[in-house]
Amino acid sequence: MHDLVSIDASKLSTRQINVRLTELIGARKDIEIINPKARHNIIVGILDKCNITVRGSLGYYCASLLDGPSIVVEGNSGWALGENLMSGNIAISKDTGASVGASMRGGNICVGRNAGARAGISMKGGSLVIGGDSGFLTGFMMQKGQIIVCGDVGDAVGDSMYEGEIYVGGDIASLGNDAVIVDITKKELISVWNKLEENGIDKQPEFKKIVSGKKLYHFDKLERLEKSSV
Amino acid sequence: MVNRTSQIFSPWVVEDIHAKSDLGRYRIRGFSSFQKVTHFDDLTFLSTGLTRYPLEGYKEKCNTRTIIGGLNAENPLILDTPIYITGMSYGSLSANAKTALGKAASMVGTASCTGDGGMHPAERKASDKLIYQVLPSRYGFNPHHLKQAQAIEIVVGQGAKPGTGGMLMGVKVMDHIADMRDLPSGIDQRSPARHPDWLGPDDLAMKIEQLREATDWKVPIHVKLGACRVSDDVKLAAKAGADAIVIDSMVAGTGASSEILLDHSGIPTVPAIVLAREALREIKLDGKVTLIASGGIRNGGDVAKALALGADAVAIGISALIALNCNREIPGSNFVEEIGLPAGECNRCHTGKCPVGIATQDENLTSRLDPDEGAERVANFINAMTMEMALLARSIGKSNVHSLEPEDLAALTIEASVMARVPLVGTNKVFGDN
Repeated sequence: MHDLVSIDASKLSTRQINVRLTELIGARKDIEIINPKARHNIIVGILDKCNITVRGSLGYYCASLLDGPSIVVEGNSGWALGENLMSGNIAISKDTGASVGASMRGGNICVGRNAGARAGISMKGGSLVIGGDSGFLTGFMMQKGQIIVCGDVGDAVGDSMYEGEIYVGGDIASLGNDAVIVDITKKELISVWNKLEENGIDKQPEFKKIVSGKKLYHFDKLERLEKSSV
Repeated sequence: MVNRTSQIFSPWVVEDIHAKSDLGRYRIRGFSSFQKVTHFDDLTFLSTGLTRYPLEGYKEKCNTRTIIGGLNAENPLILDTPIYITGMSYGSLSANAKTALGKAASMVGTASCTGDGGMHPAERKASDKLIYQVLPSRYGFNPHHLKQAQAIEIVVGQGAKPGTGGMLMGVKVMDHIADMRDLPSGIDQRSPARHPDWLGPDDLAMKIEQLREATDWKVPIHVKLGACRVSDDVKLAAKAGADAIVIDSMVAGTGASSEILLDHSGIPTVPAIVLAREALREIKLDGKVTLIASGGIRNGGDVAKALALGADAVAIGISALIALNCNREIPGSNFVEEIGLPAGECNRCHTGKCPVGIATQDENLTSRLDPDEGAERVANFINAMTMEMALLARSIGKSNVHSLEPEDLAALTIEASVMARVPLVGTNKVFGDN
């Protein structure tokens, strides 16, 4: 633990908040942000380990383009929380808007309640844990990683996914293109439950596992000139 | 006299129907559109006579310095020539090709651009000025790389295939490419068309602010658009806060696209520039937001005409690859045997068997491209184009290539007059004007 320094977001511009964060992280301070009032684009592009607690709700693209930080949000967020996370941890207590964890490549994101549409879209690694429900196109074009939804998922879950796994504890409105439900082993189930426990979620649903059917991996046929070269 | 073959069902159309009947899918190729469209050849410069004095064509100073993105960025991109190298992915191109292009750009004081596959370390090292693309796929996207870039380009669309994402056939998705993109090896990779974290212009404004915050407002942010609904798109991108707008026309190149999009979507470069410039003027951001044109730039004349029509800079792709020896027999190559088409007609970039080591990941083929030699060829080509452009500018009496204007041009066809908003030669009439 380092000294805790408070930033009152209501008194600063977005630029000033991010500059102040950089200064405090350089000085190895733990940070709390108060009065964020759903501000967009704060906690962006931080590439060092640090601890930041947000006391309130965030707007769009917050806690994004990060590599290393540990972020706790006591509230809700707008779109794209944790976008392109490389490593680190983001825990948000309430709901997130669309595209949480979009294109994340590593680390862990935990949403305490519900996530909007396109959760984990284009995800390339890491874990996205959702305590409640998730909207349509969850895991759209997902490439790698793990999405765990304790509640229900909307339409077209896992559409066009390449690799990775989506675990759904509740109802599935519909599967996306080339997404298939496969059997989950007891070992996998226990591993998912452990992941929930690690994220402070006290639930043990009987999960369904969704993966790519791999039917979209290749075009069916090649042309003569293409064949000659393959 | 009537032709002995059908104009509607030409031999090419017959072959196309046969191929699709065999395949059961759309056809794919690289290179550029085969459509015949109005282009820079349909315009001519009106050089000096008694109404203006020329500058000494071969000697006198003519400024080609170009500033991109001075609106919001602390460090705008400053280039010695208005020509830079457009985004082409590592994956579509070999590491040697990317290195050569970056090195060439550095040699002539201009920039190169990453493309849809992330930033290759050799490309970063070779490039003094590197533009980092933010694409819908976000393949290999890394905030560490973002912070190393001299400019950022958000790609909304590509002229060769507007409304769709990139394409990389499985033969080119080798282990090292798959690792960089977080994909399984060997799959036919079709990139997303929509960004994962924003959809419309209001989101784009916030996305631009995010990238500025992540880079401390230091570098310019470009928005690249496939030239379709140019007027509206340019206004929306400019109002969203872009420092520069790249308008990429239907004749722009690609390493792989469905043929139907290559030949049947988008608009040509000439009207795209004119519409974009008019749009910026209408919202009073003319001269503030930089306009960059790409698509079918082949020589200094094309560059000069693009600037005269209203572009501030141009980006080249295919012509840079041709300078790198694309479509040319070199020692060790045999186009007909290796690719099935003679040099000069090759458009099989997507097959991964490029005989000159440019559009391939095959080690035997990539070794045919020496990055240093290639860099020198591309640098020579950009220098030649810059000289040609300056020569034309001097002949019109301009000491700065950015002083070229529509008044310096005339159209050789009625269509070009309509699209370029300049008079048809031999008349004072701008066709299409009421």
